[in-house]
This record gives sequence, structure tokens and C-alpha cells, in this order.
Amino acid sequence: MSTTWLPCGVYHETYAQDHAWWQTRFICGKMVLLAVLLFGVIPFFADSYELSVCNQIGYTILGALGVQLLIGFCGQITLGHAAFLAVGAYTSTLLILEFPWPAWMMQWGLAYPISIVAAAIVAGLWSVLFGLPSARVKGFYLILTTMAAQFITVDFIITQYISQIGGRGQAFSLPPGTIKVGPWVIDSDLKVYFMMIVLVIGCVTVLANLLRSRAGRAWVAIRDNDVSAEVMGINVVKYKLLAFFVAGFIGGIAGAFWISNLAAVSPEHFPWFWSLWLVGVILIGGVGSIHGAIFGSIFMVAIMELLQLAVMPLADSFPKLLMDFLFIKEAAFGLAICMFMIFEPNGLAYRWWQGKNYFNLWPFSY
Amino acid sequence: MELFLMTLTTGIMVGGIYALVALGWVLIYKCSGVLNLAMGEMTLIGAYVSLSFYSMGVPFLLALAISLIIGFVLGILTERIFLDKLIGEPVLTVIMVTVGLSFFFKGTVEFIWGTDTRVFTPPVFSIEPIHIGPLIVGQVYLWSFVAAIVLLIVFVCFFKYTRWGLAMQATADDEMAALSVGVSARYVYAAAWAIAFMAAGVGGTLLGNINGLNISVSYLGLLVLPAVVLGGLNSVPGAIVGGIIIGVLQNLCGTYLDRYFPGAVKEIAPFAFMAIFLLFKPYGLWGWERIERV
Repeated sequence: MSTTWLPCGVYHETYAQDHAWWQTRFICGKMVLLAVLLFGVIPFFADSYELSVCNQIGYTILGALGVQLLIGFCGQITLGHAAFLAVGAYTSTLLILEFPWPAWMMQWGLAYPISIVAAAIVAGLWSVLFGLPSARVKGFYLILTTMAAQFITVDFIITQYISQIGGRGQAFSLPPGTIKVGPWVIDSDLKVYFMMIVLVIGCVTVLANLLRSRAGRAWVAIRDNDVSAEVMGINVVKYKLLAFFVAGFIGGIAGAFWISNLAAVSPEHFPWFWSLWLVGVILIGGVGSIHGAIFGSIFMVAIMELLQLAVMPLADSFPKLLMDFLFIKEAAFGLAICMFMIFEPNGLAYRWWQGKNYFNLWPFSY
Repeated sequence: MELFLMTLTTGIMVGGIYALVALGWVLIYKCSGVLNLAMGEMTLIGAYVSLSFYSMGVPFLLALAISLIIGFVLGILTERIFLDKLIGEPVLTVIMVTVGLSFFFKGTVEFIWGTDTRVFTPPVFSIEPIHIGPLIVGQVYLWSFVAAIVLLIVFVCFFKYTRWGLAMQATADDEMAALSVGVSARYVYAAAWAIAFMAAGVGGTLLGNINGLNISVSYLGLLVLPAVVLGGLNSVPGAIVGGIIIGVLQNLCGTYLDRYFPGAVKEIAPFAFMAIFLLFKPYGLWGWERIERV
């Protein structure tokens, strides 16, 4: 399902054309429209609540991209990705709070961007550490080691040790004004939104290009059959670990980004539920496509918000509903995953691909 | 020394409960190849059902029996509605369906019974400890262990000597061959889920008697995973031994390591142990080694 058929009459004369991202004028137009929507329409017409929903979507996309890389492209099932988000968030927070930044760096707002990069690298390396068992085990056993990563990192190391640094108790609160990118202090939903858009576009671009490089082809080969990949001369362990590194790297960026939206960072923001949620997102979106991560994030966040909106009016007559909304959300999420797996196992991205092909090949779709 | 022995006995007794739940898990895996992550929530349902009936004044054994019956029905329903349609799908799909089921069950349980800790009132087992030689053992632990062992024996006999049990063994061994001699694989799958649900319910009820019942009892479902991995995924004796080992390990770590790593060492130790164990013995103690060919 990876190739989208082009309409009749599109010819390529150079390799550059053949490899171009946007191959027809129609696609270019679509992308320009998307850019206008993202940079021109949403930020100026959405209110604060809608922007915060968008930010939530962006955060979910950033988290899900790493999971998509591991599960969808490299075949390494992970149920502990929230651990790497947590490592990113905590690295960034600690760097901002504890590192003796020179005054001019704070002045120019370099501290936060540098801490994001550092957080991404630390999270990547941490991810490689827990990817090491993948050299020997796979399938269900690998799932268990990634689960172990979640419990060891978040519930043990971060809760018991990292949280004690500086004697702040369980949560690290960031004083206002410390999260500063260049001249802008990130203090409103709008500014978080712009940062989110830049990060999401950056990560999607990097990942999409990585996937059509040598490394990307190696990952897909490992996913499809790791024994034959090894027979073909691919260094399986190296590329598996590279996949873990890149996934952790993106996860670290996601975590470090999300602290700009949180008043205080605490281990409760990165529960095991969140790891499973991210896997659910890519399954609903579609495994093995970047579209899948994006559609899944939009769908899941939007559905949950709609569910909340639907429950609100009922809450006057049934106060129990509002109190227990979290549980309804959990049950709905579970049921949604089951239903998608049973009735729509290819995910939303598959329908998108079908629709594109339908219009590209219309009227003779054979 | 006395402390060590005490910890060891407690570990073995709690381990008996883990073994019971692990048995249910292995049963599903052996018969239908489903890696079930909803085990913890299955224990919750069984435990809450028996607690509800018990607090209504139904005698404990009867309440347990009712929860077994409800577990049986729910197990068959779960298999029929969700898992039956997934035969032959990729591993990840099936696992995520069980994850989805676990969220669904958990959300439902929380919605119906809330998140406060509940205890069996009046206590089912007397609080008076029993002295066995130098050891002092809580009655709850002792009776839970006895109940778990009795049930384990019942289940093992069921597999060995009844027609249904033999059909399940045959399916686990070679599905195609079992089909060809007239075993209905669909009934076997449903039976496996029903038995697992029942075992989980008993495990949850016993554990709820020890610590009180709240949502964290579903952690039992996660603890089962190190146990089955330790024993090898498709080995029934492995599950029992693994469950007991994990119980002992957990209690030993809680007693001796808590000083050095304060906090949640008791919860983390099984997983850390499992991650290291897997590096050296990827197929567990008695699991089947798969030789892969292109």
C-alpha cells in the first residue's frame, strides 16, 4: 500500500522528478493549502481551547512517530515508549533548572533549544540501552523487555531518584519565562502551537527522508523477514539499534516539547497507559505509514474531546458521569481499539490511500 | 535466618496464587496462540463479583462459585465476540485487541465499583496467625495457598483425564492434527478462555482477601508475564514453577533490597529480573525452542 498511483499522463524524465516528494501540480497545490491552513487559518481563527487540542494532537503525533518507526517500519513491537518521552522531558527540565547557563544564553533564549537537543540525544541513548535485548530476543519477549523499560524508567528511576534532585518533591515546576526560544517566551497556546508545528514538520520530514535511505530500506527488510535480511548482508543488530535510537530521539523531542505546555513535570504524565495509547494511535491510524501516525493522533484526540463534549450536557442530570469520565474514556479507548482491529485492521491511512487512488485513477481504476 | 524463612514461606504462598493465574495465561497461549495482556483485568472482574456477592451476605464459597460461573460465561463471550474473528491475524493485532479489552474491562470495573479499596467484611479467614514450628504464617496466606494448590491440581487432572482436557492438549500440540481427528478447535478456544477467566477470578479473590481489593490488583496480570516467561511460554509446569519463583523473588527483594533501593523495588524486581533472564535464556526454562528458517 505504499505506492500511490499517479494519474494518467504523468511522465518522469529525470531521476530527480521520479524521486520528488510532490510529483504533480495538484499535490503541490494541496500542500500549499495545508500550509495555509496550518500557519494562516488555525492560529488566527481558533480559540485557546481549540489550540490546546491542536497541541495535544501535535504531541501525540511526535510520540507516535517513534512508535510507528519501531512497530510499523522495523517490526520491533514496543509497549514502553512513554519511558523515552519521560526521559526527554526530565532531561530538558533538569537542564533548564539545574544547569548553570551563562547569562547571555538565557538572554538569547538558547537554553531551551539546546536542552531539547540534549534531551533527544539522552532519550535516544536510553532507548538504545533497552533496545539491546532485541539483538537476542524478538516478538513477545521483546514486548516484555520494552514493558520492563517503562516500569524501570518511569516507576522506579524517575519516581524514586530523579524526582528527588533539588528537593522539590514529586513534581518539577518550571518558573514562567524559563521556557524561551530565541526572543519568544513560550507562554501561550499560540506560541506552543507554532513550536509544535515546526517540530512536527521537522520530525516528519526527517523521518520520511530517512525511510527512503539505506537505513529505511534495511528497517523494512528487517520488518518483513529478519532472517532473510541478515542473509542479504544487512547488519540486523546495528539497524535495529539505530531504529531504537531514532525512535527514542523523536520521543525525547516530544517529551521536551511537552514541558512547554505543562505547568509541572511529574511521573504521572508518563504512565504505562500512555505507551499503550501511542500504540493504539498507530494501529487505528494504520501501521507502516507516516500518515497513519498523523491520522491516528487526530482521530484519537478529536474523538476523546468530542466524547467529553457529549458527556458534559448529560452531567447535569447524571453527575456520576462527569466524575467517572476518565473511566468512560478508558473503556471507550479500549473498545475503539478492539473494533478497529476487528473491522478495520489496515487503519485510517489505508482508506486515505484508497481514496487518493480512486481519484487519481478515475474513471478507469484498473 | 528466621526472617529469611518467613519471607520464603510468604513468597511461596503468594506465588501459589500467581501460579494459578499464570496457568490460565499459559492455557490460552498454548491452545490458541493469543498473548493475553488482559489477564489483570480478568482477575479484577472475578474478584469484584465475588466481593459484591459476599458483602450481600452470600457465603464465601457460594460467592466464589458464582464468580466462577460468571467468569465462565464472560470468558466464552469474550472469545466469541472479540477473539474468534482474529484467528490468523498478525501477533500485534491480537495483542492489541487484548490490550483494548483490558482497557475496556478496567474502565467498566472502575465505573461500576469505583476506585476505593474494598475489603471482604467480615474477614473470610481469621486474622489469628498459625504457628508451624518456628514459623508464623497468616491464615489468609495459608488458606489462599491451599486453595490455589487444590485448584491447580483440579486443573491439571482436568487436562490429564477428561475428554475436554485431552481435546485441549491435542489442540495445543498440533491444531491441524486435532482438527482431523474431530476435535472442534473453536470449542477448545472458548473453553480455554473460560478456564482462564475462572482461574483469574479465583486468583483475584484470594489476593483481594490478603491486601484488600482495589484497581491495583490488576497488577497481578502484569506479574504473570515474568512468571510465564521464566517458565517458558508454552509449559504448564513452567507456569506453576515460574509463578512460585516470582512470588519468592518479589518477597525476598522486598525484604532485603528495600534498604538499598527505597521505594518500589518489590514491584520492579520481577521485571528487571525477567529482562536480564531473557538475555541468557530467551526461551525460558521449559519453553519450546523455535528454529527459524527463511
